[in-house]
Amino acid sequence: MKIRSIADLDRIKEEGLGLLYPNRTKIVVGTATCGLAAGAGEVLEAFRRAAGEGGLDAVVEESGCIGFCQMEPLVTVHRPGTPKIVYHAMTPKKAEALCRELREGRLSSAGALGEIRCETALLTGEERRFAANGGGGAGAALPDFDDLPFYRKQLKIALRNCGYIDPEDIRHYIARGGYYTLRAVLAERTPDEIIDEITKSGLRGRGGGGFPTGRKWRSCRNAPGARRYVICNADEGDPGAFMDRSLLEGDPHGMLEGMIIGAFAIGSDRGYIYVRNEYPQAVKKLMRALEECRAYGLLGADIMGSGVSFDVTINRGGGAFVCGESTALMASIEGKVGEPRAKYIHTVEQGLHNLPTCLNNVETWANVPVVMHKGAAWFASIGTEGSKGTKVFSLVGDVKHSGLIEVPMGISIREVLYDIGGGIEEGHRFKAVQTGGPSGGTILVDEKGATVRTSTPSEDGAPLGFVPESLLDLPVDFDSLTEAGSMMGSGGMIVMDEKNCMVDIARYYISFLCEESCGRCLPCREGLRQMAAILDRITSGRGEHGDIELLEELGAVVMDTSLCALGGTAANPPLSTIRYFRDEYEAHIYDKKCPAGVCKALIRFVIDPAACTGCGACRAACPVGAVKEGAALPAPVEGDPAAPRKARLLHEIEQAACIKCGACADACKFNAVRKE
Amino acid sequence: MSQDFEPVIVGFLCNWCSYTGADLAGTSRSRYPPNLRIIRVMCSGRVEPAFVLKALREGADGVLVAGCHPGDCHYQEGNYKTMRRMALLGPLLDQFGIERARVRLEWISASEAGRFVEVVKEMTSRIKALGPLRLGHAQDAEPIAEKLAPA
Amino acid sequence: MADKSVKLTIDGKEIEVEPDIYILEAAERLGIWIPTLCNYRGLTPFGVCRMCTVEVARGTRVRLVTSCNHPVSDGLVVRTNTERVRTARRILVELLCARHGKVGVIKRLAENVGVTKPRFGEGDEPCILCGLCVRACDEMAKANAIGFAQRGTDKIVTTPYHEESETCINCGACAKVCPTGAIYIEGAQELRHDELALGPNAAIAVPTMQAVPNVPRLDADACLHFTTGGCGICATNCPAKAIDYEMQDKEIEVKAGTVVVATGFQVFDPSVAEQYGYGRLPNVITSLEFERLSNAAGPTGGKILLRNGTPPASVAILHCIGSRDEHYHRYCSRVCCMYSLKFAHLVHEKLGARVYQLYIDMRTFGKGYEEFYDRLLKEGALFIRGKGAEVTPGVPGGAEAGKLVVKCEDTLAGVQRRIPVDMVVLSVALEARSDAREVERLFNLCRSEDGFFLEQHPKLAPVETTTDGVFLAGCCQSPKDIPDTVAQGGAAASQALSLILRGETTLSGACAEVNPDLCSGCRVCNELCPYSAISYDAEKKVSAVNESLCKACGTCVAACPSGAIKGKHFTKEQILAEIEGVLR
Repeated sequence: MKIRSIADLDRIKEEGLGLLYPNRTKIVVGTATCGLAAGAGEVLEAFRRAAGEGGLDAVVEESGCIGFCQMEPLVTVHRPGTPKIVYHAMTPKKAEALCRELREGRLSSAGALGEIRCETALLTGEERRFAANGGGGAGAALPDFDDLPFYRKQLKIALRNCGYIDPEDIRHYIARGGYYTLRAVLAERTPDEIIDEITKSGLRGRGGGGFPTGRKWRSCRNAPGARRYVICNADEGDPGAFMDRSLLEGDPHGMLEGMIIGAFAIGSDRGYIYVRNEYPQAVKKLMRALEECRAYGLLGADIMGSGVSFDVTINRGGGAFVCGESTALMASIEGKVGEPRAKYIHTVEQGLHNLPTCLNNVETWANVPVVMHKGAAWFASIGTEGSKGTKVFSLVGDVKHSGLIEVPMGISIREVLYDIGGGIEEGHRFKAVQTGGPSGGTILVDEKGATVRTSTPSEDGAPLGFVPESLLDLPVDFDSLTEAGSMMGSGGMIVMDEKNCMVDIARYYISFLCEESCGRCLPCREGLRQMAAILDRITSGRGEHGDIELLEELGAVVMDTSLCALGGTAANPPLSTIRYFRDEYEAHIYDKKCPAGVCKALIRFVIDPAACTGCGACRAACPVGAVKEGAALPAPVEGDPAAPRKARLLHEIEQAACIKCGACADACKFNAVRKE
Repeated sequence: MSQDFEPVIVGFLCNWCSYTGADLAGTSRSRYPPNLRIIRVMCSGRVEPAFVLKALREGADGVLVAGCHPGDCHYQEGNYKTMRRMALLGPLLDQFGIERARVRLEWISASEAGRFVEVVKEMTSRIKALGPLRLGHAQDAEPIAEKLAPA
Repeated sequence: MADKSVKLTIDGKEIEVEPDIYILEAAERLGIWIPTLCNYRGLTPFGVCRMCTVEVARGTRVRLVTSCNHPVSDGLVVRTNTERVRTARRILVELLCARHGKVGVIKRLAENVGVTKPRFGEGDEPCILCGLCVRACDEMAKANAIGFAQRGTDKIVTTPYHEESETCINCGACAKVCPTGAIYIEGAQELRHDELALGPNAAIAVPTMQAVPNVPRLDADACLHFTTGGCGICATNCPAKAIDYEMQDKEIEVKAGTVVVATGFQVFDPSVAEQYGYGRLPNVITSLEFERLSNAAGPTGGKILLRNGTPPASVAILHCIGSRDEHYHRYCSRVCCMYSLKFAHLVHEKLGARVYQLYIDMRTFGKGYEEFYDRLLKEGALFIRGKGAEVTPGVPGGAEAGKLVVKCEDTLAGVQRRIPVDMVVLSVALEARSDAREVERLFNLCRSEDGFFLEQHPKLAPVETTTDGVFLAGCCQSPKDIPDTVAQGGAAASQALSLILRGETTLSGACAEVNPDLCSGCRVCNELCPYSAISYDAEKKVSAVNESLCKACGTCVAACPSGAIKGKHFTKEQILAEIEGVLR
């Protein structure tokens, strides 16, 4: 059935609302990749079984990631007339127990994170309040889910539907106001008006560079060419980043609607979604979404009866990091090797097949329907002077609460780390935050978190930025971070505590880039090879005087002369860590020590004879037999209070055989094994 | 036949090939029978059948017409005309009772001195064998001789 | 669109250029040196070695770009030699050295940018991944047989699946552009005499040193552009834009009153004389091939080398191959004795090798020739009177092993000889060109028995032919050496000129004439005349002869049924009288 009018949309919306809020118990399992990895597949099975053979009167549905990935598998149970209850760390066993309870008409709050008392669809503004928990629930009262510290400071625009709808049913999306915007735009607005609106909203590219979206669209629309292309870049490759994946898995239509609006504004009839094949869930959901769109007349010829034609092809990438770079991505779509080219002529003028091409990131596209629906003014009211709206981050690393978050621009890093992320794990100290992936910047703090340092050279090669204020109050927005010499990045945010050796971190990123560099230009390929060699040397204890300076000089040239942004930022990890953790490098080179105790060549395990009781636990634990029985101490001497009370067999570690696995230290109950 | 018989042969040689070939035979100091009496024409195409008959009537025992090889004619196709005329002359000779072997058409190029010598030698001995051309031995010898008179 | 020029500044110098070029080219025009490595005129700029990095400023924004592929634009300010650029270049060269520091091209770059001690060491990985070969294969050869594989630091250049490529056309373009010699053609050394050497060795070359006109010529069979549609590098590089691939053979009509035929000769192909092993045994070559081998502009740069690239220790020169031989040509080719002496002298001078001359007679008749022969005798060349009879491979195992053995009868000593040598040069005959027959027809010439064109008279008219206005010069008439050729050429030219300068020509009195009183207007003669000299006057109903067209063959005279045509000088009366005369 093709949608041609608002009446059509209204009808589907009604249908969708019926599905979203049925008159029976509804169980929703988060089956995005994060959930599946935690075991959501089995949980879903268990619920389905209960609902099927078990005879439980309930609808079982899937949804995308609601954000709190650490707590997966997350399951939402909604009994009509009561708040939705969100359970975390669900297992099949717990699921069976839950179903038993449901059959008995009650619902325990054990294992629940909180309850959703009110749901507001961002686009329609329709609120749906559920009665306070009273529907026969047992146990303590549950906190409001949206008021949990993790969610309290979040504002969901791009992620507006993630976790709330079944991504494989377009009716769910329409029920929350989806495709009304597209209908309105096609019927009532000219392409120029759309671009004006986007420009006024201040929306900037969410892929990392922060280029004003409206300006990009305008350039592309004005560029001469027989045809124009729009591309959605979903080739997310940064370690620790999963914003795009979650978005596509949770709400593919949100991105698609933005893309169709963009295509209309730019004057394109052909779009591509470049998504990595390592995201099978995202690919599956996108394909389903495209199918539905074509069936409902939202893609193809004469969209919604407007005469506008547009269709989209999914291109699955092989997982090369460099293909996230726009020109490499386009080369890959063209069927060529995914290698970047010089961008002295911009892709909006000569991109895919040398025709004008507008490439935006998933998150950018997903913002578009909201901007168009709620207006530039509304969007611009969120965020800071230069950065409007929100940004999605994947918050990972050594924080208590990790997951997918969306925060308004201008929020401080302190709020992100401590309020949303819950701070650092007990007993450890905060050390650094790394943003923007391997080629992004690293924001570093000293151990007390009092001094803030950010890094990344600005584009013209000026010295690294240094912000002597509290990092934790640095606002997260494009301009502040760029001014401070860092960058927003695509949204990866990796938190590190003092257990991380910064030299080793740099070495890790450089070896990652060694593999992921396309190898086309000399400085990136050979420069990375040499940087890796130097860092290897340092971390294995063979560092020499002058290595730090050589790294600095080499790194600066690599960034200065590389062909694309990959090489252009490749030296960030060593350069920023050198700048703020030079003492750690020096310790590696001159003292042959790794202060964080990470670099195996530079640490050794020793047994403190004063603490060793001779129990032999360490000897039993050692996988290579490096722990030997040492000297036997005689029985205590009378009158010497310092002497041990009984005779002991001291243990020693044969350093030549030790592989530094740390098993002995773990085995010792007396803290006699020390790392030094 | 008398071994002393020395035939007289009239040769019509084209200026460009056969005559030059004969010249070459001379400058090459080649020996050939002195029986040939050469008349130079610019082209073998100039040779009218009447000339042949005239020569025979005037007492020649044989007539040699020599020109360029087909395709090599200095005047492009004069020798082809000769070839046709000589073909027509044959039956006429029969009517007169003259052996056809007495009249010969040969292609001799400017460089073929050897061939020229061979042709002359061979023709001389051939006509020697045929003996003198007697136009008067038949009863109507005179009329024939009369008929041979050029128009 | 592209016709508006732009102004930019490079190192303080302003230059106005067309808008579709890159900074590098603009800098070259200003004479500003920028180091390059992966750039190659005619190939799309790749911008991967980054050596050509320069600083550009637009407004306040200053950044490093690669000049090879950064387009020029109005108001662009380029600096090619700032500290930032120099540092970048130094580090880049050091990185190159770390990959392959031992090759000349990188050593020179290091010298140029001031790197004396590369800090990352000197590697010996032959391929530096500049991509020239890949682009050459793609853009020049259009074969796409090689490409990059792997990525990052593992990147390599290879064929698909590292297997022998089916699309490779063995053009060698990749090896040619490779700056480090990482690509080479297997067996190129052995190939050089057979396939690369003795003829022109490139698809575009000046055919011979003495070629007229002395300009290069494209060999469409060997040229990549004609075989694959690619390359075009010669056109790109030709500053005069003289290369035109569309050029076709054309027939040029020249109206000329005189012609000098100087079509030359061809050399005898000795492979038909199988006993000499030409084409079968390596190192048996013809005199013309030897000439090219010893030519400084030849494939070996003038070094006399055997097939395996080493110089011969002994050379036999066999005279009269194809000449003075009743199986082939009975005539003497006149020039062989002298050039053979010259060869002997060259071998002697360049290599000091032993030279044998196997001759029938030494014919050193020209000016100074005998003296040269004497000199050679004194230089120690070995002269054996007796024609070379056969060339065979040496008997393995002994002193002849690996050599060629020349058998001959030494008629002065009266003995049979077996002479082991490294190289045999066959002094081949000069013979008439295989297309002499066509030329002969074309100009109505004659040829002598040996196939060469025949002059009108051997003594009195040595350059004239039987066709008026056509003259002969050089070896098309008979084998001759250069002085004789020049002399004959001069004579032919002056003969031609004497006709041209006169501006008019005297008609021979011999021509046909129609007596209109006798002409019946039958028009038989009209069709007969090969020169269309006879035309029919419809008004008077008679034919008439155009005297300036008539060549006086007399065919029309013989054919006129009414006896109306008179062949002047060869009239019927004259001929009949002549007949009577010869028979008197």
